[in-house]
Amino acid sequence: MEGSESVAGRLLGYAAMGLLLLIFIGPILWFVLLAIRPAETYFAMPPVLSFTPNWESIRYTFFNPGNNAPQLMNSLIVAVGAVALNLPFSFPAAYALSRYKIRGRKHIMLWYLGLLMAPPVAFLIPYSILASLAGVKGTYFSMILISQTLTIPFSVWLMRSFIDEVPIEIEEAARIDGAGTTTILLKFILPMVMPGLIVTSMFAFVFSWNNAAFPLVLANRSTTTLPVGTLQYFGTAGVTWGFIASAAVAAMIPPMLIFLVLDRYVVRGLTFGSVKG
Amino acid sequence: MSAVSIATPPRARRRLPDYTPWLLISPSILLLVALIAFPLLFALKNSFYFWNLQMGPSPMGFIGFDNYRMALSNGMFLDSLKTTLMMTVVGTVVEFTLGLAIALLLLRKLRGIKLTRVLLIMPTTIAPIVVGFLFRYMYDPNGGLIPWLLTSAGIPLPAAGLLGSPSTALWAVLFADIWQWTPFFAIVLYAALLAVPGEIVEAAKIDGITPWKQLLHIKLPLIRKTAMIVVMLRFMQIFNTFDLVVVLTKGGPGTSSRTLGYSLYQAGMVDFNIGLSSAMTWMMVIVVNAIIGLFVFFAFKDWD
Repeated sequence: MEGSESVAGRLLGYAAMGLLLLIFIGPILWFVLLAIRPAETYFAMPPVLSFTPNWESIRYTFFNPGNNAPQLMNSLIVAVGAVALNLPFSFPAAYALSRYKIRGRKHIMLWYLGLLMAPPVAFLIPYSILASLAGVKGTYFSMILISQTLTIPFSVWLMRSFIDEVPIEIEEAARIDGAGTTTILLKFILPMVMPGLIVTSMFAFVFSWNNAAFPLVLANRSTTTLPVGTLQYFGTAGVTWGFIASAAVAAMIPPMLIFLVLDRYVVRGLTFGSVKG
Repeated sequence: MSAVSIATPPRARRRLPDYTPWLLISPSILLLVALIAFPLLFALKNSFYFWNLQMGPSPMGFIGFDNYRMALSNGMFLDSLKTTLMMTVVGTVVEFTLGLAIALLLLRKLRGIKLTRVLLIMPTTIAPIVVGFLFRYMYDPNGGLIPWLLTSAGIPLPAAGLLGSPSTALWAVLFADIWQWTPFFAIVLYAALLAVPGEIVEAAKIDGITPWKQLLHIKLPLIRKTAMIVVMLRFMQIFNTFDLVVVLTKGGPGTSSRTLGYSLYQAGMVDFNIGLSSAMTWMMVIVVNAIIGLFVFFAFKDWD
């Protein structure tokens, strides 16, 4: 296809590329602009592209101690907590599923995958009531714990694909020298899959960060996460678009940065390790 | 732990049963089963009671299968299921097709194509609820970008706006999903196509097979496994949609954009009818499991 291609064909290719960026990146930039627009240009027709930036919304989101800034912190606490709690569960499981040809391995893997495809909405009411009964509603702990239904299956799948790539010879030698499974896991496998573990953790962080369903029913006013906190603006009289956009931009930045940093692992992360990319 | 000390590699055949893998896997499984079984059993019990949170903090009487009957009789379940299946099938097909077309473009050697690929995935990284905010702004009938573009292009729009009209609301919600997830298909299919061995494609070219047939009969069958996984993932994610609907239409106008997920959300979180929402929880879980079962049975039979 390449090389001998006609000029027209190449031009068409560049046109398609420009169109792609316009369609898929344009709306994001449009929303970013909303965060710094003066209010009278929010819905100006035809759309206004040049204006004096108004930083009030951004200031409000990031520096006003009353509102979004604490929610940003809450998002961070829940997502980091969810990743930290998931590792001691998912790492040993991923190792076992990579190294041992146990009966039913395929079905265990599919069971984890099934959890990732479960409808979160079906669990919202039970989680909400059970959390109240257990007296943990509104706590970070409840959100971190329930997030495990996403982070553990995801991490097992992705981490297993990284452990698969670690040569088995090193472990075999260690085993012959009398090392137990715990030693092998912590002293031999862990250092070798550390890059994979970090990649997995960063994607699991995004997974948890973007989840709005569980905080929607488990958080209270002071522990709510950023995307859910932004919903409250729809309740007030007249939607305050500048504030919504700047809070939304704050919620978008961490996942975007992580995807940019992990570029070569994006396909792998998105397919839970089943496509190497 | 006795088996652990035996100095044999784990893949070697051994005489004693080795419980090590199960010791390593079971903590995760036990935790997950607990996190799923408790709410499901709790919902099962509640599904047989009349319980509205607005009337009292605890169940108000055993009513047998009435909640299930109610969900089935007033369209909350079957109509929503129909809407959801339609949206899911159309969404998956459109996202796959557009994604494949974009993947083919990404494979071309054009200046800036790598940067395009890196940027293209950005919509997929955004939380769906935030995508909802974004599209609610862009759909606004009084000055939103999308109505303005369509009107400028001479396309007539419903007076109530794209989200406010029964004929367009569901498709407007789906469009937001398509915008967010088409890049996902594009990037994954691009990676899969990139891994197709060059010799096979070269041989096909020499045999004079047209590019279209190369794609259909050689490349697509080779990336079948990858394609099936992403199709299944997306199918289930669209099927479970509720957060986009919460932000964009609340199922309306009327019930025109009421997905099964939103129907359940409405029963529990808007009407506070715990009994009804619990019955629907079970009905939805059964349907979801049946669909996953079909996928697994037909697509993953030969999977290792």
